[in-house]
Amino acid sequence: MSSTSFERRRRRAGLLFVAPAAIVLLAILAYPIVESFILSTQSVRLVAGGVTKEWNSFANYIRLAGDETFRRAVVNTMIFSFGEVALVVSIGLAVALLLNHPLGRWGFFRIMLVVPWAIAPVANAVLWKWILNSNYGILNGLLKSLGLIEYYQVWLARPWSAFGFLLLIDVWKSVPFIALLLLAGLQRVPQSLYKAAYMDGAGRWQAFRHVTLPTMRSALAIAVVLQTIWSLRVFEIIFVLTRGGPADATVLMNFLAYRVTFNFLDIGYGAAIANIIFALTFLLAITYVWLMQPRKRRISS
Amino acid sequence: MSFASARSRDRGFRVLVVVGLILFVVWSAAPILWLIVSSLMQQQALIVQPPDFSLGNFTLENFTEVIVSAAALGRGILNSFIVALFSTAVALVIGAPAAYALARLAVPRANALAFLVLATQMLPGIAIAIPLFLVISRLGLIDNVLALGLVYLSFNLPIVIWILRGFFLAIPEGIEKAAAVDGAGVVGTFLHIVLPISIPPLGAAAVFAFVEAWNEFFFALILTRQDAQTVPLVIAQFAGQYQTLFGQMMAAAAISIAPVIALAIIFRNQIVRGFADGMMKG
Amino acid sequence: MSQIELRHVDKSFGAVGVCHDINLTVEEGEFVTLLGSSGCGKTTTLNMVAGLEDPSKGDILIGGRRVNDLSPVQRDVAMVFQNYALYPHMTVAENLGFTLKMRKMAKPQIAERVAAVAASLELTPLLERLPSALSGGQQQRVAIGRALVREPRVFLFDEPFSNLDASLRVKMRAEVKQLHQQLGVTTLFVTHDQEEAMSISDRIAVLNRGKVEQFGTPEEIYSRPATRYVARFIGNPQIDLVPGELEPGADGAVLRLAGVALTLPDFVPPPGAGPAVEVGVRPEHVRLTEAGIPAKVQLVQPVGAATHVVLGWEGGDLIASVPGFVHLSVGAAIHFEIDPRHVLVFDAQSGDRLM
Repeated sequence: MSSTSFERRRRRAGLLFVAPAAIVLLAILAYPIVESFILSTQSVRLVAGGVTKEWNSFANYIRLAGDETFRRAVVNTMIFSFGEVALVVSIGLAVALLLNHPLGRWGFFRIMLVVPWAIAPVANAVLWKWILNSNYGILNGLLKSLGLIEYYQVWLARPWSAFGFLLLIDVWKSVPFIALLLLAGLQRVPQSLYKAAYMDGAGRWQAFRHVTLPTMRSALAIAVVLQTIWSLRVFEIIFVLTRGGPADATVLMNFLAYRVTFNFLDIGYGAAIANIIFALTFLLAITYVWLMQPRKRRISS
Repeated sequence: MSFASARSRDRGFRVLVVVGLILFVVWSAAPILWLIVSSLMQQQALIVQPPDFSLGNFTLENFTEVIVSAAALGRGILNSFIVALFSTAVALVIGAPAAYALARLAVPRANALAFLVLATQMLPGIAIAIPLFLVISRLGLIDNVLALGLVYLSFNLPIVIWILRGFFLAIPEGIEKAAAVDGAGVVGTFLHIVLPISIPPLGAAAVFAFVEAWNEFFFALILTRQDAQTVPLVIAQFAGQYQTLFGQMMAAAAISIAPVIALAIIFRNQIVRGFADGMMKG
Repeated sequence: MSQIELRHVDKSFGAVGVCHDINLTVEEGEFVTLLGSSGCGKTTTLNMVAGLEDPSKGDILIGGRRVNDLSPVQRDVAMVFQNYALYPHMTVAENLGFTLKMRKMAKPQIAERVAAVAASLELTPLLERLPSALSGGQQQRVAIGRALVREPRVFLFDEPFSNLDASLRVKMRAEVKQLHQQLGVTTLFVTHDQEEAMSISDRIAVLNRGKVEQFGTPEEIYSRPATRYVARFIGNPQIDLVPGELEPGADGAVLRLAGVALTLPDFVPPPGAGPAVEVGVRPEHVRLTEAGIPAKVQLVQPVGAATHVVLGWEGGDLIASVPGFVHLSVGAAIHFEIDPRHVLVFDAQSGDRLM
């Protein structure tokens, strides 16, 4: 039997408890992160089944600056992320408000929320590939029978239409989680605040404006940051639906890094693109952590 | 403002809410409904315009065909079960003690560590994919189920730790002290007291980890070739190869999502509570 | 032997000191209460005795043996926690038996001991229930049972009744006191409720900012408080403190407060004391009279057995506690007297009691 006190035993046990997880995370993640930085400063070639690496300092990054496709991918990513965050957070908030209303408490609505969340992105992409099919797709059929289009459209053949549909598909998949997050935030707004606002003569809109929004501010900020991070990862729908086309209109940075590395086998250059994404995500993650810190000052309305 | 006008305004608002809820259900359900319906319809009925929804055109043929003809699907499902179960189970076994330690055991810089753990979950896959691919190919473990499972373990651990830590933080201190006075050591307290009262969040964490691993595509694409392919890869390939067999494509998709959809529906309340709350707790 | 002794015990968390040089001895079989407001270090002190926190300095002895490095089990102490701290997933029987199971006692013996304790606390019909299906009072009883089942050398109580409603609290107090009288186990009890401390303890240690202000019997603490802090902390309604001056007189000393002179017979102030003092007057030592010090009635608060009358006079406000009900109207002119034998005189600077 050990003969040390509660506090000391707990401190010792703590390290023991953390160790296995720490080892696994370090073993699987730490090396690749470091290696990724090293790779990005190398010119990597695959020669006869082997890999040769040669240091080329910041040549990969310099090359990025002059790369038309990369510039295109950055602009696409910015538009995509901005559009996705704006749409997902506003639709998510609307859904959360609906489900927080007494009429929206039915368990069925929760099922409607978790099902799109659980669907694999690939299955989602395949499903939409069928919906958007140019010859037999239900969307063409529906729009034609409603008289909205005259001829069947090849939705994924025109740049802006393809981009827009990818955005829509990813928004559809992303709304549930953000709605769940905001619903949890809504349920934390103290009911007494609404009673007080009502006693003060506030209407529904004013209560939303002066009670709900201010108390939801940090939940909304967290939703924005998380969704931005996730929007930088979009991959499956591009892979299945457009492969970046038409004419690179749907190439996002993440997909470009994949294509450069695994299709063009330009590994060092791919790593450089990956690191740009990593840096962006890192900044966003720091923002997220900062937002999660308990606030000292309370929001006054 | 008169009472009557307030009442009618209230009724107007309720109508608005109902319309909103209907729109929400249509938005969420329509694509899935179409997936299910078209997976149950014969090819000839799908390729006429408009689709012929007469009862005689509904069939289970697509499912039987897909199961019989696409051997890859069966193997993919098996592989997915292996990687998802492995990465979830191991993540729980080593993640739960870590979460407990970070929440309660006075680990130095516990909060910073917890955030670091969370940050690893946010890593963009592509950033680690390249070196990971190089290492795993050097080790000759490309297309190995276990290698893929280990990679998924490193994604699932942070999720598990983060969900459980939020819950452990809320356990009243008195219970652990009572257990210490009653003669339980740290391990005894964890096994006899902490774990049994944490079954709901353990369930939420498990469902979450399982769904993430089951659905993962990017690393499966890079790290497998054939034998270790998981369901999402099979589906993506299927959609490329048999892209005109719409009914079968949808049947395969339906089979691939069924297990996780079932889990999500069964554990919906734990998911709502466990995960959404955890993402906002500091 | 189960005497508890704390010798020069300090506890700090980083730079924040919580306990300073605590010296305390609980004799075998004694019931001692640590009393103080929140943040005074009383629960920390109790936790250190239990083995749940380590002292930064000093020694803790149980039964004459230094226990600083022993785990709670090795110290053979049992503890009842605030909010009960019952294991929510275990039935009452499992809660009671957990500690015996941890000691690897055989199942039939556990069942026997649990049954005996349950019977003594009238918990037998509840043995198969979960804590969530119990009332507050029943949960409290289980918490006590969990401590009893061990037959420990020492009982520790950490604000055990703070979640109970007032009437139940008084009832549980009596039960714990009876239990102590039956078993005679050395007990250390923590509370912030002075009335609870007074009614239950053999001796009370009043803690203030991590220091023991006074350690004595309830009577000593109430009638002869060592410091102004103790005097204010003990007694309900609170003691009134009136600023005054102390002058040497013919026989003893003379106390001047707001134009009133009180002769204190046979009292010789220690050298260096005063002249500025504060005079503590307990409400029961203020008598309403026909003649005497003039005052006005400010507030009348009947509490049943007595009526508290707040008097406004030159020296400020003063509460008089009068037995039974009195009928006075607010604003009425009245006279009162202070019993000089019972006044408490504190040095205005140090707060120490001079008389």
